[in-house]
Amino acid sequence: MRIRPFDFKAAVSLQDALIQLDQSGPDAKVLAGGTDLVLNMKKKKILPSTVISLHSIKNLEYVEEKNGMIHIGAMAKHADLAINPILEKEVSILCQAVGLIGSWQVRNIGTIGGNLCNASPAADSAPPLLALDASVVIATLKGDKIIPITSFFCGPAQTIIKSNEILKEILIKKPVNPSAGCYLKLRRRKAVDISLAGVAFQAETDPTGKRIGQVKIALGGVAPTPIRVPDAETCLTGLCIDDAFEKIALCAQKAARASKPIDDVRATADYKSTIVNVFVQRCAQHVLTTLKNQRGKS
Amino acid sequence: MKHVRIHLVVNGEDYSLFITPNRVLLDVLREDLELTGTKEGCGLGKCGACTVLLDGRPVHACLTLALQADGCQITTIEGIGEKEVHPLQEAFIDKGAIQCGFCTPGMINTAKALLDANANPSEDEIKQAIAGNLCRCTGYNKIVDAIHSCGCQSEKEKGEVR
Amino acid sequence: MSQLDIVGKSFPQIAAREKATGETKFVTDLVLPRMLCGQVLRSPYPHAKIISIDTAKAAALPGVKAVVTFQDTPKIKFGPRSEDWTIFASDKTRFHGDEVAAVAAVDADIAEQALELIRVEYKELPYIISPLDAMKQGAPLVHEDKPGNIGAEFKVEAGDVDRAMDDSYVVYEDHFYTNQVYQAYMEPMSALADVDLSGRVSIWTGTQIPNMMRMTYAKALGMSPDNLRIVVPEYGGAFGGKMENNIHLIAAVLAQKSGRPVKLVNTRHDDFLAGNPRVPMHFDIKIGATQDGILTAKDVKVVGAAGARLVYSQVIVATACYRVDSLYRLKNVRAKGYTVYTNSVPTACFRGFGNSQSTFVLESALDELAIQLKIDPAELRIKNGMGSNETSVHGWKIGSSGLRECVTKASKAANWSQKKNNKTPFKGIGLACCNHVSGNRPFAREFDGGSGIVRVGKDGRITVFHGESDMGQGQNTTFAQIVAERLGVTMDMVNVAQVDTDISPFGLGSFATRGTLMGGNGVLAAAKDAYDQMADIAADMLNTKAADVACRKAMFFSKSSSETKISFQDIASEATIRHHGAPIVGTGFYKPPTELPDPDTKKGNISPAYPFGCQIAEVEVDPDTGQVSVTNFVAAHDVGRAINPMATVGQIQGGIAQGLGWTLMENMAYEDGKMINADFVDYIVPSCFDIPDIKAILVEPIEPNGPYGAKGIGEPALNPTMAAITNAIYDATGVRIKELPVNPQKLLAQIQKLGKHVKE
Repeated sequence: MRIRPFDFKAAVSLQDALIQLDQSGPDAKVLAGGTDLVLNMKKKKILPSTVISLHSIKNLEYVEEKNGMIHIGAMAKHADLAINPILEKEVSILCQAVGLIGSWQVRNIGTIGGNLCNASPAADSAPPLLALDASVVIATLKGDKIIPITSFFCGPAQTIIKSNEILKEILIKKPVNPSAGCYLKLRRRKAVDISLAGVAFQAETDPTGKRIGQVKIALGGVAPTPIRVPDAETCLTGLCIDDAFEKIALCAQKAARASKPIDDVRATADYKSTIVNVFVQRCAQHVLTTLKNQRGKS
Repeated sequence: MKHVRIHLVVNGEDYSLFITPNRVLLDVLREDLELTGTKEGCGLGKCGACTVLLDGRPVHACLTLALQADGCQITTIEGIGEKEVHPLQEAFIDKGAIQCGFCTPGMINTAKALLDANANPSEDEIKQAIAGNLCRCTGYNKIVDAIHSCGCQSEKEKGEVR
Repeated sequence: MSQLDIVGKSFPQIAAREKATGETKFVTDLVLPRMLCGQVLRSPYPHAKIISIDTAKAAALPGVKAVVTFQDTPKIKFGPRSEDWTIFASDKTRFHGDEVAAVAAVDADIAEQALELIRVEYKELPYIISPLDAMKQGAPLVHEDKPGNIGAEFKVEAGDVDRAMDDSYVVYEDHFYTNQVYQAYMEPMSALADVDLSGRVSIWTGTQIPNMMRMTYAKALGMSPDNLRIVVPEYGGAFGGKMENNIHLIAAVLAQKSGRPVKLVNTRHDDFLAGNPRVPMHFDIKIGATQDGILTAKDVKVVGAAGARLVYSQVIVATACYRVDSLYRLKNVRAKGYTVYTNSVPTACFRGFGNSQSTFVLESALDELAIQLKIDPAELRIKNGMGSNETSVHGWKIGSSGLRECVTKASKAANWSQKKNNKTPFKGIGLACCNHVSGNRPFAREFDGGSGIVRVGKDGRITVFHGESDMGQGQNTTFAQIVAERLGVTMDMVNVAQVDTDISPFGLGSFATRGTLMGGNGVLAAAKDAYDQMADIAADMLNTKAADVACRKAMFFSKSSSETKISFQDIASEATIRHHGAPIVGTGFYKPPTELPDPDTKKGNISPAYPFGCQIAEVEVDPDTGQVSVTNFVAAHDVGRAINPMATVGQIQGGIAQGLGWTLMENMAYEDGKMINADFVDYIVPSCFDIPDIKAILVEPIEPNGPYGAKGIGEPALNPTMAAITNAIYDATGVRIKELPVNPQKLLAQIQKLGKHVKE
């Protein structure tokens, strides 16, 4: 399987990449890990005239903590993020999710920026970032802009990023109160499969540690884009942790109702909704129990 | 299409190649360097037969543009156990972990990277590592066994055969 | 039999070192000077009339050396069994993936571009995918000369089924469906073809049947079989899928037209679209038993989907109709089979050859009978199982049967009784048995045996020639062990030559679990001949008679005075001098004591040996998602003597993994007549996490007809797996799986319907 001819440009800096991208026209593509782009070029689904590689740009793979914010470089690889100590400590849900992307081979070269920009409705990195209320930093020739991830995805394979812009960084606000998260995905086999339905559930207590301060639930693979389900979140927000357990079923029902999956070769829409319900319950059970136990310890 | 020059260090040897940008690493290894030990099972990164080590990390050579590997160290199966058969290869041979052998080079590369990073992996860690390497002949039992036997456990444990 | 030194011991494959180091040259690795890259243009429609094909632009593309269509072929109808094939579609395409045209170009980039430049005008026709629909009146015809789309019918009846059914205490009756699945060998089908100046064609390809392929292809190419040479390098798996296929012939036609070697490697997508996957089958089964659990009668109707042409599906449907009848002491059986054309990819052999489909159905039905009769399923099998020296309802002479021992040993190892009687919610245990053949006489009809050549080189080294095919299962190693044992040499003294129809003896090939027994007996006979020739020369050299000569550890000596010892090398050296350079060449063949079944009654004895097995699966079902996890597996197989226990266990574990994939995840899906999951993204095969620890137990009754007592194991390894798992699912949930693969959504719905769903 061959790739149609294209021009290759290795950008030496982000600014250089932006200039090259701007000059190359709308069908130019940015290459990060390539696990999606190269695959789609092989399948002739994407036929770019120019490919601009970000590989030679130094220092786009970082994970840093600054002033209560976690900064993740767009070129950070899934395999590294899955075991990053900062992420594991503060937002382990992201580690869980990126650790379930593809195979080890894919995680070793695939990047979080690439996973987001590819904008598959089922992308594993998206639901946890939605549930963490992350933002993305988009580099443009006019300077950086920060966009909440909730408005990043526009549809399958579509994002808010314009053809001459580049995703540079992901920003996550570090939880200030006790928090926990859980990501579950439906697969057809026990490892290495596209998510048929993914549920990310992240909760943080209020300063007392007794009540659910905020809960955010995001779903992947069950709508044209990854989505948040605010109605489901409201069911639990503000409740004492102990009381929240009783509302899990209602929360899960609302999440399932908010999902808009389609029938495909992988599973039926009905089944995906059923699974959303089950997985929201399981995630909630796990997260609430973790929060409860954390309180017990402190 | 313009040709570009790339430098690869493959199995310790320097190569300077003049290629078109649309070539994936797999095709350059197999066609230009005639290193046919790296296999193409699906061409789309779903079977792991083309696994090579890029700066020590297993990747799909079929989904990696050769240009992405410019300046990198690449290990293919030909570079493992060059002088004498590597203990991992020995284990695959002795434990019956090889049947048709088409998945074997990729499987051994992945296992090599695992053992380099984790000298004594658990069965679960082994499976995590090779989950993307499909084998259709063996049912994996003997492959997991072979890799496990190369971890640095006691000799007694090593002797266990499933 | 005296003590064995080599047979019965575990050896790594003789090619293992090359495989482990990447040195092995697989078919896809082969290169010839000036070699071109071939690619095939396939039909985008399931059924379409070809109005026109314009190849001018493709042919004009620089770097393109040949473009071929039906017009460039000899236009001969051919086929391995039924002559309904052409090398390319002529007037219409019959399935999504049907071969329409092909190109050969200097590289793959140009070949791909050339394909896009071929303009084909189609007129879409109504299509049918379901064989049940295809049999209905007014269904579109796949072949105009095949009314009702019936490709073949099969009937068998013995005893008095109706009466026995009436007399039964219980009768179970149901409909089952087994789906279309793909072999998913890791190396896609591929061929390298070259034509010499005389027009003689050589094809290097991974095929299970080099000699039969040669005959089929000679007809297709309009040439004498002697003008066609098939060479079989190492290749990456087959599992039944690598028999005849148009891509080899297309490579040959491209080589003929271009005058250059052409390598054609299926993309994985093409391999899905136009390989030869398993025959999907609908079963109506009715089976009865007495109150004591003695099986009384079995009545079955099988409808199998052949796809667009007959490969071996009619033989496979026939096998599904009656092979399983010889697993138990059935006396009254009836079966009717229909092989039906559809607009899908032509279906064919896949490990189990119809017997795996029918074993799933029979063993599910037996589970139901056991429940109705309140008999332990293991006991039911032991009660009815065929034993050694029994003759089955179809006249099969069971020389040795370890079936009961398999059930007993598997049950014990799996802790069956305890687990069966102590129920844990949504955990279950299930058991299933199987029988099979070691060679299938009606397959080639004229004969079914094996032959070999054993050459002793001047240096005393042994080279074994055979005409079967090592597809990766380790057959060459088995043959080397048999020959080494017979000659009394160590394994490192024995090479096994690549199969090359110019050089190798005739062999029907590797299918029907026949390699070890047929090919093994063939090379054993040749080894004996070589031994006798060496003994003659040794006798001369020792100044004694051949009868006085013995051999131990590769040294010949006189029994009367064992002081002087002569090595193979000495003898071989002496022989080449005496024979003016000719080496010692032993030849031999094996004629099995089989009987071709009577065309009407189907009575006969189709194989010299019948393997049996019993598998026990444990599962956990997620009551909220319907997902099934296989947590433990025990498999006891009667393999006769295991020539190589490690390889035998490897076959069992691999077969179970394939059966597990079939049961739980694998399915070729169609929408609008097109295959919609023709890649490893959406056609899921098991990963290492999906396969549990598989405990394999070898039951080794010495088979009188086997080489050193061996039978085959390839296919029985998978035959019972599906029912073992689905019977375990029944045990866990009360849901009977009647359709493969298990669909978690449907299973969940049925679990909830049964009211066993426990809310958290």
